[in-house]
Amino acid sequence: MLSGDIYLKSLNVFYGPVHAVKGIDLSIEEGKVTTILGANGAGKSSTLKAIVGGVNYTGSIVVGTVPIDGMPVHKRVENGIVLCPEGRGIFYTMTVKENLLAGAYTRKHAKLELAFEIFPVLKERINQIAGTLSGGEQQMLAIARAIMAEPKYLLLDEPSLGLAPVVIEKIAEVIREINKRGITIILVEQNTTLALSLAHKAYILENGRVAAEGKPDELMKSDVIRQKYLGGVRA
Amino acid sequence: MINQILLGLSNGAMYSLVAIGLVMMYKVSGVMNFAYGNMGMFVTYLVWWLTSVIGINLYISIVLGIIFAALMGISVERFGLRPIRHLSHGSMLIVTFGVLMILEGLAVQIWGTEYKAFPELITGTPLVFKGDFGIIVLRRQDLLVFVTLTTISILLLLFTKYTKFGIAVRAVSENEEVAGYMGINVGTVLSFSWAFGVSMAALVGFISAPKVFVSPLMLLFYQIQGFTAAVLGGFETFTGAVFGGLILGVLEKLVESYISEGFKASFSLAIIIVVLILFPKGLFGKTLRRRV
Ligand SMILES: Nc1ncnc2c1ncn2[C@@H]1O[C@H](COP(=O)(O)OP(=O)(O)OP(=O)(O)O)[C@@H](O)[C@H]1O
Ligand SMILES: [Mg+2]
Repeated sequence: MLSGDIYLKSLNVFYGPVHAVKGIDLSIEEGKVTTILGANGAGKSSTLKAIVGGVNYTGSIVVGTVPIDGMPVHKRVENGIVLCPEGRGIFYTMTVKENLLAGAYTRKHAKLELAFEIFPVLKERINQIAGTLSGGEQQMLAIARAIMAEPKYLLLDEPSLGLAPVVIEKIAEVIREINKRGITIILVEQNTTLALSLAHKAYILENGRVAAEGKPDELMKSDVIRQKYLGGVRA
Repeated sequence: MINQILLGLSNGAMYSLVAIGLVMMYKVSGVMNFAYGNMGMFVTYLVWWLTSVIGINLYISIVLGIIFAALMGISVERFGLRPIRHLSHGSMLIVTFGVLMILEGLAVQIWGTEYKAFPELITGTPLVFKGDFGIIVLRRQDLLVFVTLTTISILLLLFTKYTKFGIAVRAVSENEEVAGYMGINVGTVLSFSWAFGVSMAALVGFISAPKVFVSPLMLLFYQIQGFTAAVLGGFETFTGAVFGGLILGVLEKLVESYISEGFKASFSLAIIIVVLILFPKGLFGKTLRRRV
């Protein structure tokens, strides 16, 4: 298992001619919630995918003191770096239980009780086909499935997307709760209010570069940043 | 009539076996393997050579043949297809065409075009049942095919439903990228699907060889019928493949007996067209609405 802070060092992601992430440096503190904000296409998802090894990148990713660049995705997952991808990506034709088992693939025993403790609603729907769950339930399943991998670092890509306010509140609670259990969170969000209320540190990406970084309250003190990047949210 | 149906089911069970292999490779790797029949043909030649020329026991030769088939599937996927996966579907299809032609050429070069006799896997007099329903004749060969199909179907069902690796196979076939994020080694699953698929082709080769003889084109017909069966079944599920094959076998036999033998060949083409028009997702295809 890896441990310690995660450092991204001049990370670049290319998709053919598209330069999606342009040499960013991030430090993600162990045990904390770090959020990455930014407009559509800023490179947020690409950054998360680079951390789990799901896209090719240049530069370096270091966990604690260990560079993990040569490590394939499944090894990173085994080592506790787990991504809950954008758009949920649950397995629609499989049951809730099978989705959770797939999430626990790298672990000897699937701790299903853990998922049910966090999301009791999933227990009632254990044998339901995942594609027939409601949007909110699907998002809960996606997060629960990621938790089944027993992450040390949990990367959440827009968990609040398309959900009703009550469900978003529930998701926020869950994020706080799993962070309290010692899991380091990297949260990508369009919902800046939500993200800033949860985060210890925030990065704002713009066109593949870091446009601003700091503690949420510091960022919100700056009128320029608030207006330009945070949709004018108030503390 | 009952005998016709039994014969149809026996042929159909072979189509089902072909279809199961095709569906496995297609579901997981997304590639329709045109070389499928020829891969099975090549392994059948090899087993014929091992047992009839070298003199190794038939059943040991068959086990060696299955191992060879699995390795051949793994190699073609790993070295022929995986490097170009990100390019396009079309380029992968062309590679399977290439493999089809190479294997045919090789077989002709090494073993010639003369038909070779393959030993019966199972011998004995047919089982005959008499009753108010008339007389039913069940050849040992049919029995072998039924037992093989039933065993494989049940094992496959248990495997995909109740084993960790089986669930991983389904996960990869549904969403390869996300399956990778679960820590599933997608490469291993791809290898498995091709090892399994080509083993099915080889199995069909061994079972059919005593009847059709070993020749470079021996599995062409089975490949076409297996493909039709898979289309009938929706190309997505193993259940679809199994029932698609059985239904096709029976329909084909009935057409042959009651309409005309000559119509049999164009029949499967007609079936594909009708099914695709009436049931675009196959008779067993699931239409599942995805919510966003
Ligand atoms: N597979 C891909 N192929 C080509 N270009 C891609 C690919 N994935 C992302 N991009 C491009 O890279 C850039 C960054 O994309 P990314 O998904 O990282 O942005 P994002 O910040 O997550 O945006 P969003 O908020 O819309 O999810 C975009 O311009 C996008 O079009
Ligand atoms: Mg994104």
